[in-house]
Amino acid sequence: MSGDGHTGLPPASRSALEPWPDTVDWRPISRDLIWVELIRLGIGLAALLVVLGVAWALSGHWLLGAAVGVALLIGVWRAITIVRAVRAWGYAERDDDLLVRHGLLVRRLSIVPYSRMQFVDVSAGPLERAFDLATVQLHTAAAASDARVPGLRPAEASRLRDRLTALGEDRAEGL
Amino acid sequence: MSDRSDPGAPRPHDDRPGAAPGPPPPVGPEQPPGPGYGPPAAPPGYGPPPGYAPPPGYGPPPGYGTAADATPGPWPAPAPPYPGPWGPAAAPSADGEEPRQRLHPLSPALHGAKSLVVVIAGLSWSTLSRVGFGWFALLVTVFVLGATVLSVVSWWNTGYHLVGRELRVYEGLLWRRTRAIPLERLQAVEVVRPLLAQLTGLAELRLEVVGGGKTEAPLAYLSVAEATVLRQRLLAVAGRAPTPAATEPGVPAASGTPVAPAPAGRRLHVVRNQDLLVSQLLTPQAFLLPVGVVFVGAQFLSEGSWSFIAVASTLTAMAGVVLQPVRRVLDDWSFRLDRDDGTLRVHNGLLETRVQTVPLHRVQTVRATWPLLWRMKGWLRLRLEVAGYSAGEPDDRNRPDRLLPVGDAGTGAMVVAEVLPGVRLDELPGTPPPSRARWLRPLSRKVVGAGLDERVFVARSGLLTRQLTLVPYARIQSVRVTQGPAQRLLRLATVHADTAGGAGAAAVDRDLADAWELAAELTERSRAARRADHRR
Repeated sequence: MSGDGHTGLPPASRSALEPWPDTVDWRPISRDLIWVELIRLGIGLAALLVVLGVAWALSGHWLLGAAVGVALLIGVWRAITIVRAVRAWGYAERDDDLLVRHGLLVRRLSIVPYSRMQFVDVSAGPLERAFDLATVQLHTAAAASDARVPGLRPAEASRLRDRLTALGEDRAEGL
Repeated sequence: MSDRSDPGAPRPHDDRPGAAPGPPPPVGPEQPPGPGYGPPAAPPGYGPPPGYAPPPGYGPPPGYGTAADATPGPWPAPAPPYPGPWGPAAAPSADGEEPRQRLHPLSPALHGAKSLVVVIAGLSWSTLSRVGFGWFALLVTVFVLGATVLSVVSWWNTGYHLVGRELRVYEGLLWRRTRAIPLERLQAVEVVRPLLAQLTGLAELRLEVVGGGKTEAPLAYLSVAEATVLRQRLLAVAGRAPTPAATEPGVPAASGTPVAPAPAGRRLHVVRNQDLLVSQLLTPQAFLLPVGVVFVGAQFLSEGSWSFIAVASTLTAMAGVVLQPVRRVLDDWSFRLDRDDGTLRVHNGLLETRVQTVPLHRVQTVRATWPLLWRMKGWLRLRLEVAGYSAGEPDDRNRPDRLLPVGDAGTGAMVVAEVLPGVRLDELPGTPPPSRARWLRPLSRKVVGAGLDERVFVARSGLLTRQLTLVPYARIQSVRVTQGPAQRLLRLATVHADTAGGAGAAAVDRDLADAWELAAELTERSRAARRADHRR
């Protein structure tokens, strides 16, 4: 298991999603992802509100007004969960596998052995680039495998990618 | 969510022929002038621009190599009308110089006949009534002729051969395509013979390859002898690295000695067609059909109206309902299961016969199902999953997952023991979730469960249709633990074992501490099993 133990970064919260706390060194992702997600939410919400607002102004039906209110409420609730969800996201590199945990409502933890890696994706959209972030995704032959780590600094992302590919090549077993 | 469209990094249909390990491709892409083109002779005539590689006339982009030079001219073996004798089999392909083979010359005719059905369906009966029979026949003829001409052209331009550890398939007239299929990734081979192909003695060869988006290289059509030989060779090449026989260590009695089985294969089981019929009569569809008939009949009698539309639509609906059982009967007719060294061979089909060959070490999961109505007979059905395109295909007829359409407990146990040595179907471990999980699954808590056997992960599910999923540890791709909101309140979690192809297995609603332990244990065991596999 990772030798340096848990002396490193104190995880955001010791939740049920963090098993084996003494052997796994969880690393959080960058908090800047909060802003990326918030802006994304804001854009979506603004577009929705404009449509609803115009429709409301034109028709004057009270249902549309209610819809605007509901949309705003959902937006606020979503914003709060985004903050918490980003904090809940974490990953850990062990000797043989990569651990990724995320999700608030439905909590998920993935354990993906390096040897099962088929390829690694590093991607960064315009918003992510503006905040100097990138996403690393590890693909296995199983479609259900879910190992995506967003909100990494580019340097960290390429370090992770290189490490994953190196380890994957070392132990490649594929199927 | 990972994108399921493309799970394999090195695409199997990689266009670069140079990527082949092993012997060089027939016309070396590195040395630009193919001997036939004679570029030493060409330059005097028209000076090629400096630095431009010589393919005359239209230049395929450099590096495109062998694929592009496949104009009808340089076909290696145009002389024999069709590739009848397997010349290269006599002269072993040690240096990879194997001539390209064409598909069987009758294949365009078969494709044309196939298109006849499509054309008629496409034109539909309403067109027939509108334009009259003469015009309709003319239209059909024109379309079918066109389709046939196209398939002749594509037949002329299609070829395949084995280079090193790859099967290369060339096709296309305007857009040439070369697919190099690395045989290490071959998961299963299927020889399919639709009715027409049976009449003409032809067969289609389908390869199941990991990472392919859809059916990879269906070679349609070959003669049966060719298809059999090619399948043998492909499997031999594919199985070279991990010797298939050695993949499963001889667990006493069950698997027998790995060397002994005769090359012809060992018959494991033959499903009696009678059982198959009964099993399909014991389905909800077949059970409900009389009820439906009576209901509809009563309605008609009471209303006294027998309009054509009503009758026709009722019949159509009923045909739709019974289609599945009927199809199953047709598909699984005369089902035979053979074990041949390290591979499993499944024969089935009445109108369309299929012979499916799966190397045993490619089996990702085995699933046993006990449908409700079959329980009175004590029957079960077995399916297996291999990795490949078909997991995403809507039509499950093409999914090479048949293992046993119907059988009693003893047969099921025997087949499972053959596929997964050392696994005894009737003695698998399994513990149900803790009692507080009854809030989430009040009825099925006792039925679901999970356990760790010596070599496989066992997961049970289903209340009415009981299911048992077996995943060999060595085939687990990743392990996931998920916890929904209700589960969190009850301190429960679900552990998934993901496999390539198929849904994998899930231990639902485990106690949280139990779930962590299970996840750790699965990770550990799958690593150990992979190592053991690797060393072999």
